[in-house]
Amino acid sequence: MKLKNVAAVGVIALVSAIALSSCSSSTTATPKATATKSAAPTVDLSTLSGTITSGGSSAQANAEAAWTAAFTSVATGVTINYDKSQGSGGGVTNWLAGSYDFAGTDSALNPTQVTSAATTCGAGGGLDLPVYLSGVAIIFNLPGVTKLNLDSATIAKIFNKTITTWNDPAIQADNPGVTLPSDSITPVVRADGSGTTANFTTYLSETQPSTWTYPVSTAWPVTGESAQQGGSGVVSTVAAGKDTIGYADQSSVGTATQAAIQLGTGKTYVKYSAAGATKAFQASATTASNGTTGDLTQKIDVTKITSGYPIPLLSYAVVCTTFKSATQAKLTNAYLGFIDSANGQAVAAKNAGAAPLPASILADVASSLKSVK
Amino acid sequence: MSETPADLRVQTRTTSSTANRPGAPKGSARTGRTKSRPADAIFKGLSTGAASLIMAILAGVAIFLIIKAIPAITANWTTNPQLTTGVTQGHSSFWTYVAPLIWGTIFVSAIGLLIGAPIAIGIALFISHYAPRRVAGILSYIVDLLAAVPSIVFGLWGIFVIRPFLLPLTAWLNHHLGWIPFFSGQPSTTGSTVLAGSIVLAVMVIPIITAISREIFLQTPRLHEEAALAMGATKWEMIRLAVFPYARSGMISAILLGLGRALGETMAIALIVSPSLIFSLKILTDGRNSQTVAANIALNFPDANDLQRDALIGTGLMLFVISFVVNLVARVIVDRTGPGAKGRKAKRRSAQLPPSDPSTILLTDDAAGPLHTSRPTEGSQPA
Repeated sequence: MKLKNVAAVGVIALVSAIALSSCSSSTTATPKATATKSAAPTVDLSTLSGTITSGGSSAQANAEAAWTAAFTSVATGVTINYDKSQGSGGGVTNWLAGSYDFAGTDSALNPTQVTSAATTCGAGGGLDLPVYLSGVAIIFNLPGVTKLNLDSATIAKIFNKTITTWNDPAIQADNPGVTLPSDSITPVVRADGSGTTANFTTYLSETQPSTWTYPVSTAWPVTGESAQQGGSGVVSTVAAGKDTIGYADQSSVGTATQAAIQLGTGKTYVKYSAAGATKAFQASATTASNGTTGDLTQKIDVTKITSGYPIPLLSYAVVCTTFKSATQAKLTNAYLGFIDSANGQAVAAKNAGAAPLPASILADVASSLKSVK
Repeated sequence: MSETPADLRVQTRTTSSTANRPGAPKGSARTGRTKSRPADAIFKGLSTGAASLIMAILAGVAIFLIIKAIPAITANWTTNPQLTTGVTQGHSSFWTYVAPLIWGTIFVSAIGLLIGAPIAIGIALFISHYAPRRVAGILSYIVDLLAAVPSIVFGLWGIFVIRPFLLPLTAWLNHHLGWIPFFSGQPSTTGSTVLAGSIVLAVMVIPIITAISREIFLQTPRLHEEAALAMGATKWEMIRLAVFPYARSGMISAILLGLGRALGETMAIALIVSPSLIFSLKILTDGRNSQTVAANIALNFPDANDLQRDALIGTGLMLFVISFVVNLVARVIVDRTGPGAKGRKAKRRSAQLPPSDPSTILLTDDAAGPLHTSRPTEGSQPA
């Protein structure tokens, strides 16, 4: 038994070492300090056994896979099933039906769902806990052009089809010295409902309320564009097509060429970086509880982002405060506690290109998790 | 829907058994023969059970679809908060939501059939009348194998191979024949078009149409063919005069079964075609492609709320009805003009004469493969 514990600690150390090895030197310093602390968890993970059933957001899927691998390498008796084919909406629906221990979703519970959660979970209701931070990348494929700067206004006009050719004066103004072809722009969007779309339309309607008049929605609101299934469908279509531009969750972008996005209203253009997304989150997010004690729904106001990456994407785990089974509660609590530790965030950063959530949010999650029983 | 050769077999058998059924009381022959043994009773029970199970399943699916769809069909689409967001946003009622989908389903399937059916019948004719025996055997095996490829594989093949492959053709057709409504509009630069989807659909219906047509062609009475040849007809004239008239109803039902396959195809279309909920004839654009029912369900189900799910199930109910009508039409055509119909009786009798060319017998057995049992047998003939 003692030997097993030593081994467990060793594995945690190993996992965090691997996870941290790829981080830049500036970000390594902070998590390392906390990583040693989390190596002595309150619950001995190796004694846990059982199955966690979950599913939802596909944006989280790569991170969930990394978390599952890291967690189960220590908690060897635990099996974690995360079904990404459900999507955010399907995940929440299944969770409300009581078939999931937690659901991954890119949009926090809406008021109707909060009410139904009280039925599913009892008086304590359900909690939205931020677990995954990333960004929505704008990718393009324009032969001969490798660098592209885009204003928020230009992005809104391209995606609502006001700007239809690449050599439009508005695009040219953002990119002095770049030769742009006179070809038509083919915007590539999501055909399926998606949290990425919800985050992207939030960005468009908050930064350009007069140009982008469509409501925030998980379904893409503009018709007549090239619509593809899944983030990977958008990415492969943009890459394989010509004169294309699309948006996708950072974790599915791969080697596609990314545009640099205007920061605030100035003339600075930035590409996605994990550190940038964290910085943007710190500047723009405030906790806006849905009324349930311990709920950590975040209100992100992208107009407040003055440094970092301007289109962040935040994804939640939703979980009941009161489980029907104490064993499941303990398991889920341990897993979510691992995800929202500096160590867990570093694992996602390494394997899924995610941005680590700031320490203040992680501390809030840890205290909210105390009420999950 | 029907993706494996096993399904195909069932469908084939259904059609041909319709042709055989009129006045074929097999039961009487059996009872007159020997006394009943326990195994008889058991097997009869099992097969009766299997037959009633399929009826129960079909009824169960229909009832499920109707019960789930009713809340969405009767809901007020302009005020219900669950329906005024997301995928169902901006539709005044269930019918305005489902109508473009039904149109898209029929349109895309029809184009797929237009491309696939002639090729499939060509393959079937080659196997039954032109190919050397060995080649025919291998070829029919390969075509049957094509039916076993999962549609997701066809979808990925469509994305990575067919889409880029069609781009030059898309540009050419749009430039030179853009005045035809089908080829008009802003040509796609991504290849995510109805044309690409239909071509993949065509590849998927080819095995079904080929397998059934091949069997029908092989049943053409030897004497008709030889009579045509004896009159001095060339091989093509013989096929036109003897094979096609005999096989017409079989070909039609083969094509309608292929249509059934195309109507329900989901993954390939969802992956390849860039959809819009519109009535459009265009097949070369990115943004003006009509969407199909099945692909729409696959794309939107994961992120739909409860009532939206009901609405999507409602569209599935409509697809169920369309498939039902297609199969009904296939039935009616087969019963009217098929070998079982009254006008055909004389021809049928001659069909039972043994084929005069021994090589054909062998060829038939080789090429038949899993479909072999589906051919009408002599024993089932009314006296």
